[in-house]
Amino acid sequence: MVQLEVLLQTIVSGLLLGGLYALIGLGMTLIMGVMKIINLAHGELMMVAMYIAYWMFTLMGVDPYVAVFIASPVLFVIGILIQKYLVTPVIKVESILPENQVILTVGIGMVLVSLATVFFKSDYRSTPVDYASTTWYLSDFWANSPIELSVSLLWAVSFFFAVAITLALWFFLSRTDMGKQIRATSQDSDAAILMGINVNRVRALSFGLGAAIVGAAGCLFIPLYYLYPALGGQFTLIAFVITILGGLGSIIGAIVGGLILGVFESLTSTYVGMGWAPVGRFVIFVAALVFLPGGIASILKRKRLGK
Amino acid sequence: MKKAITSALFSMFFAFGAVLAHAADLNLTIPLPLTGKQAKFGEIQKRSYEIAAAEINAAGGVKGNKLVLKFEDSGAKPDIARGIVEKLIDVQKQPIIIGEYTSACAKAVAAVSEERKTPYLVVVSGNDDITQANYKYVFRLNSPNAYYADGVLGFMKEVVKPKTIAILYESSDFGSSGAEEMAKHAEASGIKVLLKEKYESGAVDFKPILSKVKSLRPDVLYMVSYVMDASLLMRQIKELRLDANLFAGGAAGFAIPEFIDNAKDASDYVVTSTLWSPQVKYAGAKQYAEKYKKQFGDYPSYHGAAAYAALFVAKDALERAKTWSPEDIRAAMKATKMQTAFGPVQFVDKNGYQNQNFIPTLALQVIKGQHETIWPKSMASAKFLYPMPKWRERK
Amino acid sequence: MKKYYPFITLAVLLVLPLVGFSTYVMHILILLLMWATIGMSWNLLSGYCGQVSFGHAAFFGIGAYTAGILYSKGAISSWYGLPLSVLVVGVFAFLIGLIVLRLRGPFFALATLASGEVFRVASENMAWLTNGTQGIMLQKRLWVSKEPYYYIILAIAVGTFILMRYLVGSKLGYFFVAIREDQDAAESMGINTTLYKTIALVVSGIVTGIAGAFYMNYMGYIDPHIVFALHDISIITIMIVMVGGVATQWGPFVGAVIMVLLQEMVRSVESLGALHMAIFGLLLIFIIIFLPNGIVGDLSKIKRFFGIGRVKA
Repeated sequence: MVQLEVLLQTIVSGLLLGGLYALIGLGMTLIMGVMKIINLAHGELMMVAMYIAYWMFTLMGVDPYVAVFIASPVLFVIGILIQKYLVTPVIKVESILPENQVILTVGIGMVLVSLATVFFKSDYRSTPVDYASTTWYLSDFWANSPIELSVSLLWAVSFFFAVAITLALWFFLSRTDMGKQIRATSQDSDAAILMGINVNRVRALSFGLGAAIVGAAGCLFIPLYYLYPALGGQFTLIAFVITILGGLGSIIGAIVGGLILGVFESLTSTYVGMGWAPVGRFVIFVAALVFLPGGIASILKRKRLGK
Repeated sequence: MKKAITSALFSMFFAFGAVLAHAADLNLTIPLPLTGKQAKFGEIQKRSYEIAAAEINAAGGVKGNKLVLKFEDSGAKPDIARGIVEKLIDVQKQPIIIGEYTSACAKAVAAVSEERKTPYLVVVSGNDDITQANYKYVFRLNSPNAYYADGVLGFMKEVVKPKTIAILYESSDFGSSGAEEMAKHAEASGIKVLLKEKYESGAVDFKPILSKVKSLRPDVLYMVSYVMDASLLMRQIKELRLDANLFAGGAAGFAIPEFIDNAKDASDYVVTSTLWSPQVKYAGAKQYAEKYKKQFGDYPSYHGAAAYAALFVAKDALERAKTWSPEDIRAAMKATKMQTAFGPVQFVDKNGYQNQNFIPTLALQVIKGQHETIWPKSMASAKFLYPMPKWRERK
Repeated sequence: MKKYYPFITLAVLLVLPLVGFSTYVMHILILLLMWATIGMSWNLLSGYCGQVSFGHAAFFGIGAYTAGILYSKGAISSWYGLPLSVLVVGVFAFLIGLIVLRLRGPFFALATLASGEVFRVASENMAWLTNGTQGIMLQKRLWVSKEPYYYIILAIAVGTFILMRYLVGSKLGYFFVAIREDQDAAESMGINTTLYKTIALVVSGIVTGIAGAFYMNYMGYIDPHIVFALHDISIITIMIVMVGGVATQWGPFVGAVIMVLLQEMVRSVESLGALHMAIFGLLLIFIIIFLPNGIVGDLSKIKRFFGIGRVKA
């Protein structure tokens, strides 16, 4: 019974963690899917949003969940500016290796981290909201329950936000005209140009949108984590794993990928050792790259086509 | 052409070094991590060095020489730390090296200092190897890792009397050596180690491992963590209602004010070892702590106190040294016997360590949202709270 | 004139230590040569063969650990790690290649990135072999003075330079470039792309591994976070070549000079504080936008900008 409790709790936390991962990965899958660029400044963009949420909370007492509505638009604008004034010129220039843009994003990341360190110091910060430690226990609802499970409010909220944003984005991409343009550009940008789509506008928009989503992720993330300037790097890597696992540009893939990764990591932590969890993460990453090149999206597609 | 540019750049270096050498009386450059993950600790120390320097200068400097501090950012990277120190020794001719934070960097710096026969004062790096390598020129102000947990151990042995222990630690030099020492001590005193696991610092979710710990029901949960991992751990322990007789931390993350700020009520009753606290009764400790708090809003951790004291130790040695040759300074360091805000300082060869300062380590407990010193009893600022209530019984 | 460049540079590098530089300058020179070596090896795989690797830290770290483990477990000089790492890194590079070379473009890049991380975490966890996060420290390095280290890394760098020149000038080099320009076309011309990509990867890995083994001997201390670092090793390698000039012989050298010196200079201006990273980042952005093929690759552009018609070097 005790073992069952451990297993169930592990899976529950894995799913919640996966929701959070998916949220971080969503923005990247959009950017990578449409523009095929590797954005190593993704985590740093999240860091910027987290500082916005932090200062709004500290100076004005704005709840981080409300700050989403400020931070996301700001990040949207930042994303568009980066795309327009930095990424586009780099993609346009003739160079031997197309990976030039990677260095660009590394540079952007460095600048952002450095500026954050200069302005906000390297202090560790967090937003201690009143409901931070609100938790639901199974035994509160079912007094004689043989096992005990707990779900924290903050994690549950971020999970549902992740699902909600995924659905909204999915709706946007599949139902609206702009969304269809984005998808067309992501599938074949040359054809999209021929069809009269303003590809540059679409690219700027999707970079902005990707940044806005990771901005939202930052706001949802800060109440249950903490913040310091150099925080971004590790989350960039996680976002990569999810993007590849889910399939470039696939929104549903990202959330499924996030959940799989979350559960896989949690199981690794419990049954192999927490120190090995990052290895598990990258093993799943390489396995997905090699054995499932299209990511989870390709499985979904196959299903839908009835194969 | 390339050569010309290169040589031009090099001459710029030299010119730069020369300017530094003549600008003031006694220049000390301190390598510290000021960017990256460890920057927070670099900053605590930087501020403390500056407080100390201001005090020293106000009292007439070092042998009448004005002390001018500079800091170079090593980013917690050993090769950069090494480069900085080579420059200090060779270009700047600095008589004594102080600083660094991470054990990895301190090892690199210690190796250079020893080779170049320049005294090096390690300020807060805990790894045991540093003063076990038979280095003649390397001195260490803080107790080595193996002694960090002494205060907590004393408390455990006399009050908690546990039979089992679980150990979680972060995957760094500091974390793994701290965990290993605790496991050794525990086994020696008949406490069974149920689990000893590491995690990658910066982890988001500790719940899987914590629910495993919960199922093992250890008497004591001992954690060695930097900064925010510590508060996340305690918050998630609370969420899981993981009960143990004692939650103990191995210095670093558990001992700084941010821990309480972020873990909030989840931090209550947590005991942590530390090398120093603002309430210790060493002369000057309180003044330093208050001064720091006034300027920066928070009480400093032991990292800051060690840095603050280190500068006085260096000043003391430089004033007693016959000349400022490395050999004389080394002799003066070796003969150091003084009281600092960080505790009594004396560099001895003992238990396989060389030039090592041993100061009693303390145990702090979070009582009503404040770090209070509870162990050893002679230094306690408050009576410890034990046993602690189960999570379910807390409000 | 141009064909004497290598000899002139070599002569200058050979006599450089005789000038009597401080050990600090020598340290910088040694790092510079080491980075140039790593850059050249990356350039072979990524610049000429077009397989952009984000995981050279894996090879660097394996090389360093080969030397370190010889010392800590084998109790023999870690210098034997230099020849041994050829074998060890070669085997690992081949195995990594089996997995990652099936992938293309950004997928290859990400897979190599992951391989570096996997080795880092694995070496953290296999404490019985690697001493885990406590790392491996040499009790005493072989020499105190810098000159021996300088000449050893110079020999490695020169050897690498000659090897690269030979490889790129040979038939292999043409195959590499063919693969970079259009892998499918190369395949249809009957070029065994997998074979040549594997060769490029293994050679590139081995050279980086030797540099790693040298690093262990020179620095005297390694731990997983240092030698398998993504940003501090893999990304810096890429930057060095990109800044210097991709698929050029001199690019890695120029890149190493610029990156190492620039970083060192910007960092030592104390008044900049933490801002030095921002300045460094801005310079990178500037170079990438205005000199996309690196300093060497866009040399004519630079000359035109400064209005220099003919440059006598």
